Formats: sequence, structure tokens, C-alpha cells
Amino acid sequence: MNQEIEKKVYRGRIKVPYKHTAGAYVEKFITEIGKNNKIYGVKCPKCHKVNVPPKMICIECFEKMEEWVEIGNQGIVKGFTVITHSTPVMPFEPPFAYGIIRLDGADTDFVHIIKESDPKKLKIGMKVKAVFKENPRKRILDIEYFEPI
Amino acid sequence: MSKKKGQEKVFEIKWKTDLPYRYSIGKLAVKFFEELKENKKIMGSKCSKCGKVHSPPRAVCAECFIEMTVEDMIELSPRGTLEGFTVVNYPFTDPNTGGLRPFPYGYAIFKLDGADTYTMHFVDETDYTKLKVGQRVEAVFKEKREGNIGDILYYRVIKNED
Amino acid sequence: MDHFEGINFSELMCGIEAAPGYLKPVVKVATGGTTGSSLAICGYHNVASGIYNNVLVIGWEKLNEGGATTGIITAFDPVWERPSLAGALGPLALMAGMYSAKYGITAEQAAKVTVKNRSNAANNPFAHLQMPNITIDYVMSSQMISYPLRLHDCCPQSEGACALIYANEQETKKITDNPAWFHAVETAHYYTFGTDDKMYDLPTATIASKKAYKKAGIKNPVKDLDVAEIYEPTSWSELSWTEALGFCKPGEGGKLLDEGITQMSGEFPINPSGGVLSTNPIGATALVRVAEAATQVMGRGEKRQVPDVEKALAMGFGGSLWTEILILGKEPLR
Repeated sequence: MNQEIEKKVYRGRIKVPYKHTAGAYVEKFITEIGKNNKIYGVKCPKCHKVNVPPKMICIECFEKMEEWVEIGNQGIVKGFTVITHSTPVMPFEPPFAYGIIRLDGADTDFVHIIKESDPKKLKIGMKVKAVFKENPRKRILDIEYFEPI
Repeated sequence: MSKKKGQEKVFEIKWKTDLPYRYSIGKLAVKFFEELKENKKIMGSKCSKCGKVHSPPRAVCAECFIEMTVEDMIELSPRGTLEGFTVVNYPFTDPNTGGLRPFPYGYAIFKLDGADTYTMHFVDETDYTKLKVGQRVEAVFKEKREGNIGDILYYRVIKNED
Repeated sequence: MDHFEGINFSELMCGIEAAPGYLKPVVKVATGGTTGSSLAICGYHNVASGIYNNVLVIGWEKLNEGGATTGIITAFDPVWERPSLAGALGPLALMAGMYSAKYGITAEQAAKVTVKNRSNAANNPFAHLQMPNITIDYVMSSQMISYPLRLHDCCPQSEGACALIYANEQETKKITDNPAWFHAVETAHYYTFGTDDKMYDLPTATIASKKAYKKAGIKNPVKDLDVAEIYEPTSWSELSWTEALGFCKPGEGGKLLDEGITQMSGEFPINPSGGVLSTNPIGATALVRVAEAATQVMGRGEKRQVPDVEKALAMGFGGSLWTEILILGKEPLR
């Protein structure tokens, strides 16, 4: 950047600690992933859709969902992109892929990281499998990434 | 006071936002910080319509809706009058650093001689009984200035003004 | 809460899943401390303009999850203000000190506001700090937080939410035969920096309230209004705001309180709910003022009900010394 522009720009940082009370549903979801390497969804009593990640209320039916369903740790890629540009807030150094994944037994899609950075090796409709983190930290990244089967 | 039931342990995700940003400060601020760094001068901007002198300098006079340019900037005195003060005496995370901001610290607003608006900054006094509205103050500059507001370390009360 | 007012937070949380806003128009409003009153005014515009028949307005805050002071600093100018600003309380302390220096308002008068509001809060099941036995000494011997503000001169950090249902005249008949009617909404904004002008008063409250009084046909607010729910982040601010809102002359906020006029038993009670000094979930706080004004007008205040309320005022305060005023009535303004 040229010097004239540079002196017109103030460079700062926003560093703010916070916590997020995730709620009982996210608690169960993330705890099951970390402790038992199992992925759970919840089923709407009216439309029977299984929501992953789980939420308390079905957005379409406005019904409270209370039936927990274990779903598979494999799924189908419904869309993807490959990240090549690095920003300071990313969980991994690029390149890596983000995928929209429909897990077996789920009726909603789930966004997560796919550890495959070659776009030629990624395909819509391909099967992927969850790889769990060895030392879970109560994060969604306790599913460390998905890998192609 | 409200209920004191045994608090349920809730599932919390703890995180620390750390976002770098860039902020375009505008031509007048560029001039302000240049003068501060190079010449230890504090500049304001004067509205060509109402004559109001803004400190810190502004690009627009809000009342007249008149644009002020670098040519409308004038030098202000580093001395002024204490118009309001407090001593901040509570802990909080400073979002600029991510750590605790050191406290207590004196925090005040001043009217610099020659300015019509007010300047907010640190004051070098943590005993509030020693501060009074109307006291004369002056800016204390940093030895090695970098071209940011920290170049004015703080304002201090002048005991005997010559 | 990350940062402040859920600025970085997904509106999915309250807008879509819990509202229910799926496939419906959802608008997010965030204007700092005035968020709640801005929400209330947006809700009013949405219905009064004829665009929508029914609108649900929600304000919420979870201050336990972040640091309000830290978050508020990030809402201010990075170059000039963030290095020295101490959240909201620092500037409010400056304002209190300047107000006190200008008019000779005493710390005891300020403490009386906390005593009034937190005792009122004991009548409000939704209030955070309910202190029926609080004394002036208790307030005046609490820790000095930021001179002249002591701990109990300051609002708490609360968690909470508030929701209001708006409907047009036709739809209202299906819901209730006892609604609160909007008479006036007004907003006044200030310069960018709080320090652009003297800080001992609140000009935006004067401007916004004058315009609102004119719209609502109010000549003498203390006589023509029956109750007010104002946004007082500190005890000193309530005294100053009562002057700015024209409830008394400049410098007489302390006198108005001393005469008992703003007490629950007085001619013109201010903050029967306990006000912001008792409960402050920031993103909901100003909406709570509107909800409490509506509660008073609808006669549903139970233990905190002021008798025979025809007209009530609600105030939002925040941002760079912004004010929003809403006037509600038992009967529609014709």
C-alpha cells in the first residue's frame, strides 16, 4: 500500500472475551460428539424432519422438538467451496474446503470443514465421514473435519 | 433482592474475539496527527460560517452543515480549562488490548484555549478531591511521538500559571 | 453477548426460531442504548404506515455473557475515543459531575433517586434489584465507582427480554378491548462525539419531548401526563433528565424529587417499575420503558399500578446522547 494512503489508515484491533450460553440442545449435541463420538439430531413431532444441528423449535411448524435421534457420522456433500485466501479468523491454514453436508438420517444440512483442498477431488454427491478430535474442547470443531470416503 | 436459588450449571462456550481492522481517519485527522507528531501542536478546525472551532477537528460543522478542509485548521493552545472529570475506579477488559485496562485513572473533558468544543482525555490525577471544574490544565506530550492520540500522554493541572 | 447489543450475534436466535419469523420479514435494529425505543418506534412505523397489520417487537440482552463496558467501547471512535473511554459509566460520571457543579445538586439527592426506584422495583416481579428497605446511607456508603458515581448510583448489568405486540385498529379489536394507543413518537440525535457540547444537560431529550408534546397535545407534561418511564442509567441522570423533559425548570430536578412529586404516591410518579437503576438488560431496557408505559395505560400494573393513568411517557437514551420519546394513551388520539 502506498505511503500516502497508509498514513490515512488507523490500524486497530478489537479483542473482546465473551461466553455464549449455548442452551441444553447444543450442550447435548456437543457433549455427545466429544464424549461418545455420536451425532444426534432432533425430530419434529409434526413434520418429522430431523434437524442437525438440533434446535428446540421447528422453524416451519413452530413445534417443540423433544425426540432425540442418533444419526450417522457419514453423509453426502451437497455443495462445497475451497478456501485459498487466509484471514486471521480461520480455524485452519488454507487451503481447505467448506462443505454443506447432509448426514445420513438428517433432513437438514450441516456446514463443516472437508479436509480435501483439491477441487478436482471434490464432487457434489460424494460421501464423506466425520473425523473426531482426540482431545475434545467442547466446540463444534470436536468434529475436527470430514474426509472423503 | 431477587431470588437466590442454587444456580444451574449451564453449558457455556468461551471465546475471545480478536479482529484486526483498518479505519480511514480522513484528511483532517491526518493533518492533526502529523502536526502532533512533528511539532507538538494541537489543531482544531474552524467553521467558515459560524466560526465555531472544533476540537478534535471535524470535516463537517454539524450545525451549519458546512464542510471544513485542511485549510480551515488552526492551532490551539495546549492549555485549557477542566470542564468535567471523574476517576475511573472499576475493572474492565480494554478491547484495544484484550487485557485489563489499568485503573484507577483520571478521565476528564477540557476546553482548550481557542476551541469551542470539548476534548476528552486522561488527566494525571487519581484523587478526585484534588480536581475541580475550572482548573487550568495543559497537555503533556510523549517524548517519542508516533502520530496517534497516545502522543498526548495526559493533561495535568497547572499549579501556578505564568 | 459478544460485543454489545448482539451486534455480532445471529438474529436467528430470536427472530426465526423463537419468534416465529420463518419466511417472514424480520428486521434487526441496533442503536446502542436506544435499541429498545428504536425497536418500539420501528414497530409503530411498520403498523401505522399500513405496511403490516400485526408486528411482534422483541428486545433482549444477556450481559452476563460479555463485558458491557468492553463492548460499549468498541461502539465509539477508534482514533479519538476508544483509548480513554471507560464504557458508558465514564461519560455518565462526567455528566453527573458537570451537572452537579452547574446546579449544586447533591449526592444525597442522587441517592434518593436510587432509593425511590429500587423500592418501586420491589413492586415489580420482573425487576432485577428489588430493595424495599434500601436507605440513603446505604447508597452513599457504597463503593466509589467513578466519581461522583457510587456503586448504587449505577444501573446493574441484567439479562432479560421484552416483547410487544403491535396491531392496527381493525386487528386490535380481535386481540383486546383494552389496548394502549400511540399518541406520539419522536427521535432526536446529537453530534458524533459526546464532548461536542456541554454535558451537564441532555438537549436531545428537550428537543424530542417538545415535539412529542406538541403532537400529543400536551401543554404541561406534569399535569397532562400521569406517569413516566424514563431511561436513567444513573441516579444523577434521572434528576437531569426530568429537567430536560420539561417536568421542571433547569436546575430543579433535585427540588422536584425533594417535593415528592415523582414518588409512587406523588402527583407524577417516575419509574414505578424501578427503572433502569433496578433492571438494565441494555438491548431490552428502552423497550421495557415502553412496555411499562403501556402496562400503566392498560391498568395492568398490579402492585406498581399508578391510579387512573390516561397518558404515559416512555423514554429511550443511548448512543451519542440520543433520546427517543414515546407517548401512549388509554384512548386513541383523534
